[in-house]
Amino acid sequence: MGVPERFWRVMAGTLLLAAVWIQFGYGPGVTAAQQRSNTSDRRPMVLDRAPARMIADPNPVFRAVVLDAEHGEVFMANDKESAGTSVLVYPTQFPPTNRILEPRRRIAGPKTDLGMVCGLALSIEHGELYSVSGETGTLNVYPLDSTGNVGPRRRLRGVMPRASAGVFLDVKNDELFITTEHVNRISVYPRTFQEDQEPLRFIQGPVTGLGDPHGIYIDGTTNEIFVSNHGNWRETQPGEGEVRGPDSLTRTSLGYNVPGRVVPLVPSTGQFLGPSITVHSRTATGNAAPLRIIHGPHTQLSLPDGIYRDPVSGELIVANTGDDSVLFFAKDAAGDATPVRVLKGPATKMKGPVGISIDAKRNELWVASWDSHVAAVFPRMANGNIAPLRVIRTASENAPLASMGRIGAVAYDPKRKEILAPN
Amino acid sequence: MIQGPKTLQARTSHYIAVDAVHDELAVPNPFAQAILIFRGGANGNEAPVRVIQGPKTLLTAVDNVAVDPLHRELMTASFPTDSILVFRSDAGGDVEPIRILHGPKTQLDRPIRVEVDPINNLMAVMNDHALLVFNRTDSGDVAPKWIIAGPKTGIGTRFGTRDLKLFPEGRKIIAGASIRGPRGTRSREASNEDEEGFFRGSGQRFIGVWKYGDNGDVAPWAVLNATPITKIPGSRMALNPEGGDLVIGGDGRVAVYHLPEIFQKTD
Repeated sequence: MGVPERFWRVMAGTLLLAAVWIQFGYGPGVTAAQQRSNTSDRRPMVLDRAPARMIADPNPVFRAVVLDAEHGEVFMANDKESAGTSVLVYPTQFPPTNRILEPRRRIAGPKTDLGMVCGLALSIEHGELYSVSGETGTLNVYPLDSTGNVGPRRRLRGVMPRASAGVFLDVKNDELFITTEHVNRISVYPRTFQEDQEPLRFIQGPVTGLGDPHGIYIDGTTNEIFVSNHGNWRETQPGEGEVRGPDSLTRTSLGYNVPGRVVPLVPSTGQFLGPSITVHSRTATGNAAPLRIIHGPHTQLSLPDGIYRDPVSGELIVANTGDDSVLFFAKDAAGDATPVRVLKGPATKMKGPVGISIDAKRNELWVASWDSHVAAVFPRMANGNIAPLRVIRTASENAPLASMGRIGAVAYDPKRKEILAPN
Repeated sequence: MIQGPKTLQARTSHYIAVDAVHDELAVPNPFAQAILIFRGGANGNEAPVRVIQGPKTLLTAVDNVAVDPLHRELMTASFPTDSILVFRSDAGGDVEPIRILHGPKTQLDRPIRVEVDPINNLMAVMNDHALLVFNRTDSGDVAPKWIIAGPKTGIGTRFGTRDLKLFPEGRKIIAGASIRGPRGTRSREASNEDEEGFFRGSGQRFIGVWKYGDNGDVAPWAVLNATPITKIPGSRMALNPEGGDLVIGGDGRVAVYHLPEIFQKTD
C-alpha cells in the first residue's frame, strides 16, 4: 500500500505547488490576462506534423452475416473504420484454409454511405441488400450484385432514429424491422419504402422490455419478433427519437440550437436490467408488453447480439458476445430458461461472436466473430467445443485481437504510462 | 482490456477520465444513465467499484465525465438537459449532484464535454457551437466568464469532432473542432451530408489551442490541422504533458503527436 499512498501525496503536493506558482507567477489573474492579450490580429502557430506513432488495426472485422443460399454467397458487414467500413461478399463454399481469404466482392467507399455498418438483410426475390449503421439514421438499399464504390439505389433517412443496430426483412409480409439502441425501439417500414417514409408502426415505451436492443429476427409464420437486449435501460416514450427539430424528445439530431430554450431537469430513470431476449407480437404497436422474455442466470445470456431461428427445429440461436458462445434455446423458451445446447470453447475459434445465420440448404450454421476477425462455419446442430468445418479470416491466426472499434475517447494514465481508449 | 458484462459498460462508450491521484477511472454509460468508477488498474471482466445511478442523480444520456482529484469532484455535461452536474467523486448509488449549472444565462446549449482546472479554478464546456469557460464552483444560472465562439475560432461541433482539454500549468485550452457554416445552415464545406451521407462528412477537423483569457471571436493561439501529413484520426484527445505528447483518437485509430510547444508553462 506504500506506493499508492506516496503517489497520492506526491500528486497532491504537485497540484498545490502548481496552484501557488500560478497564483504568484501570473499575478492578477484572468481579467488582467484578458487586458494584456491582443487577440484580434492573432495568427495561429501552425503545429502540423506527422504523428510520432499510430495505433490501428488494418484488418476488416465481421459483424452482421446474411446468406444468399440460392447464389451461394455470404454477405458480412465490416464496421472497422481503420480498415475502411465495407460489406464483404464471399462464396459460401470453399476449400478449408487457415489463410486470409480475399472476398469475391467488396462494397466500400465514400459513395456507399455505409457508415459504421452494423446490420444487414437481403431479399433474393427482389435482388436487394439492406444496411443500417450504428452512426447514422439511414437505411440503405443496394443491388445484391453491387461491387465497389457504389451509391445506394434507395435510401430511407430523416425519419429514422439515429444509431441502428439490427435490420431484418420479413419476407412473408414484405416489411423491414430495425432496432435502435439509443431509444429502445423497433421500427417497421414497408420494404418498398420511399425516402421520407414514416414507419408503419413501432414498438417503444416503458413496458416493452426493450433495453439497448441489438439483434432482431422475425418469424413471419408464428408472427413473432425476437430481439436481443444488452439490458442498459432507461425509460423511453413512444415516438421518442422519431420527431426531429425543436420538439424532439431526444435531441439526438436536430433538436438543439434553439436560442433561449431551457430544458427542464428530470429524475433519472436508468437501470441495469440484465441481458434478455424479448419476444413481441409481429403486429404490436407502441408501448406494448412483450409476449415473453428469456432472462435470468440460467440463460447464460451475456451481451447477446445476433439472433436467428432455426428453420427446421424452431430453436432460437443467439450469438452471445460476452462469453464467446452461441446459445440454442427451445422454440418456446421463456423466463430463466437453460439453453438446450451451447457452442463454446477454444476449438470453435469464436471470440466476441456477433453475427449469426443458417444456411438451410446446406445445413450449416454461420457465426461471425468480431474480435478474432473470423467467420466460422459449423454443422447446423453443432454443440460444445468443436472445431468449425471451415473459416473465413481477414487477419492471420496470430494477429492481435481486433479490440479497437470506434474510438469514443482517449485518456492518459500517468501512473502506468498507458493510453486508454473506450470503444 | 476492461471488457465484459460485469463491467456494466455499454457498447457505445464515449468517454473515460483518469483520476491519477486516487487511481480511479470514470466511464459513462449513456443508455443506463450511469457513471461507472473503476480502480485504476482494472482489467478483464471486472466490476466497477462504485456506480452513480438513480433518480436523484438527474443523469440523462451521460456521454462524458471529468474528474477533479484535488477537490474530489466529478462532473458531466448533460446535453439533453443543457446542464452541468457535479458530484462528489467518491459517491456511489442514487446521489444528488452537489452543484448544478443550468439556466438561460449559462448559454449551455447541447453541452457535450466538460473539463475542470482545479488549480486555476476554472471549468470549460464544449457547447454545440461555442466553448464556454466558467468559474469552477459556479452553480445555478450563471453567465460564462469567457466565451470562445465565432468564425475566427473555427469551433463547430455538429458532426462529432468535439473534445476539450485543459492544461492548467500552461493555462491553455485545447479543443477538437470542425469547421462548419453559420449557425443553423448546412455548409457544403462543413458536411457533405446531402450528397454523401453523414459518415465521413464531418468537414475539416483540426485541433485548436487557446490561452486562458481568450474571449470572443478569437483565432486559436496554435493549430494542428488535418492534412495528409498529420493524418488526424479524430478529435478525441488526451494530454501527456510530461512527454510533451498530444494523443488523438478516432476513426478506429489512436495517434500520438509530439507537440512540446503546447505544454510550455510560459508564453
